[in-house]
Amino acid sequence: MIEVKNISKKYGRKKVLNGVSFTANKGEITSLIGINGVGKTTILNAIMALTPVNSGEILINNEKINKASYEKITFIPDAITMLPQMTIAEAMQFMQDFYESWNQERATELLGFFKLKESNKISSLSKGNTAKVNLLLGLALDVDFLLMDEPFSGIDIFSREQIAEVFTSHLIEDRGVIITTHEINDIEHLIDKVILLDEGTVIKEFNTEEVRENEGKSVIDVMREVYRT
Amino acid sequence: MNRFLKLVNFELGRFMKIYLALIGITIISQIAGVIIKSNSYVERANEAIYEDLIPKEDFFATEGLMSMLHVLRSVWFMGPIALCIAALIFYVFFIWYRDWFGKNTFIYRLLMLPTARIQIFLSKAVSILLMVFGLVAIQLILLPIESVILKWIVPLDYRIDMTVGEIIQNFRELQMLIPSTFIEFVLYYGAGMMAVFIIFTAILFERSFRLKGILFGAIFVGLAVLVFFSPILIMEIMQTYYLYPIEIFILEIILGLVVIGASIWTSHFLLKKKITV
Repeated sequence: MIEVKNISKKYGRKKVLNGVSFTANKGEITSLIGINGVGKTTILNAIMALTPVNSGEILINNEKINKASYEKITFIPDAITMLPQMTIAEAMQFMQDFYESWNQERATELLGFFKLKESNKISSLSKGNTAKVNLLLGLALDVDFLLMDEPFSGIDIFSREQIAEVFTSHLIEDRGVIITTHEINDIEHLIDKVILLDEGTVIKEFNTEEVRENEGKSVIDVMREVYRT
Repeated sequence: MNRFLKLVNFELGRFMKIYLALIGITIISQIAGVIIKSNSYVERANEAIYEDLIPKEDFFATEGLMSMLHVLRSVWFMGPIALCIAALIFYVFFIWYRDWFGKNTFIYRLLMLPTARIQIFLSKAVSILLMVFGLVAIQLILLPIESVILKWIVPLDYRIDMTVGEIIQNFRELQMLIPSTFIEFVLYYGAGMMAVFIIFTAILFERSFRLKGILFGAIFVGLAVLVFFSPILIMEIMQTYYLYPIEIFILEIILGLVVIGASIWTSHFLLKKKITV
């Protein structure tokens, strides 16, 4: 379980996060939703210790993040984290060299699933294919938790559909996912838990299944209610 | 191969094209320098001796006999060395900043590696050290080759033959690059590595605290320099030179190690607790 406990973060005088708390469980897809600049990416960066928080605490399986945690949790940012001059094969080799949790079988499966060629250079890929390689490098790790920052951002509809397919496949099964996205339509039916953010605070947290069953509302309906009031 | 060595190998690979280009430029420029300088000397000597009928002794008295030192003082020889030094100084900064800037934010990947983050710092420092040693080794290989080329071009009675040791001993700039004693080696390369560590830590301050970090980095550099030179500064201020050179040397080694230790510890702290992507 990922536990985010009362974290606050300032950039200069601007408070980006103000006492954010939530939990994300293994086997669940948790979505962080909010307008641009609300602090979604900062939360993911903070979970991965890629930016320090001013106060609060983050625990992954009851432990503070450490070097061993990176074999259990991975982050797929909205930009690719490999060098542009690398081929996909070299990027995969890099991951295999450094991560014990790298699953080559799954990586090969994903290559086929996304119809990517190992010999292609990252710099030569379209935005959609770059997003797929980024996803491949994260998904091929045998980790408990996946953090994804805007995986559908700025990519074509076909690539979006293909990426969305991943969420219903065995590639995600049993893992915990925290995803930030604007393109809620693509995965609305797959999300288990929603955290709505505004001005650096959690304004509503709900279980999608419960809201659907008890109130007959979709995620978008709840978002409309919350953000319009 | 453990992860640290893989990181060093990876860092070296990233600079390899530029590095090989630098080596290529050095080899071509220095050998061209030997050929051009030697031919020019022989031409001048022949012209003076056989056409202007100046006695050999008079010509050699004014011009001196041809030796590797004539080549060493030229831009053909020192130019590529200066270029390599400038490139490596630039690389000390570039080795960090390239990971933050550009379309592909590789720093995410580096910081998310399942290895202690200080290894990123140390692998970058070791890469730079290996690159320096590589260039010095190339220079050591080149010197005897250049001496042989000079001998092919310049007749025996026009030249003074020098061993590599003599060439280095007679050229101060090369002495810095290729120290002849262990003490000099420790002094020059230790100071060089200490400077790299200090700059790395200053860069990490900037990457952790951005604008404020520049100030913190500058303070760190200032303090490190102050600590390192404190024995000399104290003696200069007090005007009492009570330490023997060997005592100053030992003290500087200890203080250098203290500064390097402080730099590694601070960088470890910054990478673990304060760095921001």
